[in-house]
Amino acid sequence: MEKELIRLADIAMQFDGEEVLRSINLTVRDKEFVTLLGPSGCGKTTTLRIIGGFETPTSGEVYFDGECITNLPPYKRKVNTIFQRYALFPHLNVFENVAFGLRIQKLPEEEIRSRVLEMLALVNLKGYERRSTDALSGGQQQRVAIARALVCRPRLLLLDEPLGALDLRLRKDMQAELKRIQQQLGITFVYVTHDQEEALAMSDTVVVMDKGRIQQIGTPEDIYNEPQNAFVADFIGESNIIDGIMHEDRLVEFCGRKFACLDGGFEKRENVDVVIRPEDIDIIPYQNGHIKGTVTSVTFKGVHYEFIIDVDGFKWMVQSTDYRELGSEVAFIIEPDAIHIMKKSEYSGMFGDYSTYSEAYDRDIREFDGEEPQEEKQYEAEE
Amino acid sequence: MKRRNNVFKLLLSGPYLIWMAIFVLVPMGMVLYFALTDPDTGRFTLDNLMGIEEFLPVFGESVWLAAVSALLCIVIAYPVAYVIAKAAPSRQRVLILLVMLPMCMSFLLRTLAWVALLEDTGILNRLLGSLGIGPLKLIRTRGAVILGMVYNYLPYMIMPLYSVLTKLDRRLIEAAEDLGCSGTQVFFKVILPLSAPGIISGTTMVFVPAVSTFYISKKLGSSGTALIGDLIESQFKQSYNPNLGAAMSLVLMVMIFICMGIMNRFAGQDEVSRI
Repeated sequence: MEKELIRLADIAMQFDGEEVLRSINLTVRDKEFVTLLGPSGCGKTTTLRIIGGFETPTSGEVYFDGECITNLPPYKRKVNTIFQRYALFPHLNVFENVAFGLRIQKLPEEEIRSRVLEMLALVNLKGYERRSTDALSGGQQQRVAIARALVCRPRLLLLDEPLGALDLRLRKDMQAELKRIQQQLGITFVYVTHDQEEALAMSDTVVVMDKGRIQQIGTPEDIYNEPQNAFVADFIGESNIIDGIMHEDRLVEFCGRKFACLDGGFEKRENVDVVIRPEDIDIIPYQNGHIKGTVTSVTFKGVHYEFIIDVDGFKWMVQSTDYRELGSEVAFIIEPDAIHIMKKSEYSGMFGDYSTYSEAYDRDIREFDGEEPQEEKQYEAEE
Repeated sequence: MKRRNNVFKLLLSGPYLIWMAIFVLVPMGMVLYFALTDPDTGRFTLDNLMGIEEFLPVFGESVWLAAVSALLCIVIAYPVAYVIAKAAPSRQRVLILLVMLPMCMSFLLRTLAWVALLEDTGILNRLLGSLGIGPLKLIRTRGAVILGMVYNYLPYMIMPLYSVLTKLDRRLIEAAEDLGCSGTQVFFKVILPLSAPGIISGTTMVFVPAVSTFYISKKLGSSGTALIGDLIESQFKQSYNPNLGAAMSLVLMVMIFICMGIMNRFAGQDEVSRI
């Protein structure tokens, strides 16, 4: 385990009396790839800006390498940032953009030249030195921004939705490239995104945030398989979330039936949220099923079909490679390892029922469409 | 479709194009004609242009005073524009209104007001006299002419600077800070270079009217500080030699174009506004 590089201790943040962050405690280790993940306005960008020094928290401290840097201005921090929409200097060409930080450090011309060229090679932009930045595509501008930040050899790189403006294909390529650069240079990354797939694919550690609070910190596998509450379960992938009662360790009741499961450590007869991922449900011949219902929606997704199945008014999402007809009666079984039990939280009952499927879908579209309206508002408030 | 589009464009721009042709191109042709013809015979001649030689010091003086005024305008207007651009949006509107307010009053009136202030028996000298100082020679000096120019043309410098500075992307400033710039470095490495287009267009808008002004120098300057504008005016009004006046206008115009060309080259920017 590497040693701690950044520590946020009990950070709170208010803009105009409005609470944006509350009791944020987070430790980032050296060479770790940490992702702050959450919907618009969850406070992830603000958290990043606090680490970068662009905001001063209302209370709490920031430690860098054991040293308190809460009130240190950005230019004195050994941290570099890749901004949303890159913020390249329009009056400088590609070479001078990348050389900017080194010129400020007043390094000898020869060293600047070799380091800039080396960095441009690393991001596959050899031969673009004299180009103007607005003659570049989004992906190329992105690479310049990466080179500009990395050429300063920061201990820590902050990335604020760096791939938000790119199309899907380019995004996948850049994800792989960023990961490669991170491993090659051994730099700590703190990465902000609202794209859960991106977070799961790239990170060592994912920090799920909502309403200015950290909801869960864990490896991508932990976050997906063992969500701590209904918000996390819903935000990361699809989930059916059902009210249940824990009878004893490894025995839970929901939908009027008792199921064997793998979780324990709850009170006797404690009310819980039960999470079942759509891909973990097996549709079987009608008469053998644990749970029976009617198919009310079928969507072809390429790899599989996505069914909405009405079981006594509660709508389940089930993914299966076998086709079922709309309106047909189906049944399914749930294996013990498909069941995940969560304690009740403020989010209980808000997520995990697909009765309002189309609305939920709309919300996803909004959230995953790049803009961060609420956080933009925060910038203005701060000005 | 494209053809119709072109017809539409022509219809829209037509009135202005005709206006330009009648009131800009034709007069310019006339200036050219008068400048190159003999007043008595109407024949082609270069005598008018040659005759300008003796007035060259006046040309030099005009360019010099206009350049000093433009420079002073930059120095004064930049901080003003910066402060306005940084203010809250509602306050920005009020401040811009205040900048524009003097322009609602007649240019002549404002210049006459300065005469009243600066005269040997003017308000300022009387004020100073009551304090036992002076009377100082304020009016009929180069300083007074520069003051008049700066005062009258300052809004033309503030506006383009303000518009450039409000459009400045705050993220660029943060990016510079992130890359190690202190406050002053951010200003000189990012803010100032990015406001160059505003400085250039402001300078043009101050320099061009200042170099050809006649009223300000007439009212605030002495007979010894006559500017090229005064000279041209007198050719038409007093000594009645329109041909020499036209030649002077022509030379002045060429000089202004050269100055603007140098400035645009100096900025090395494409988006510099042109007059």
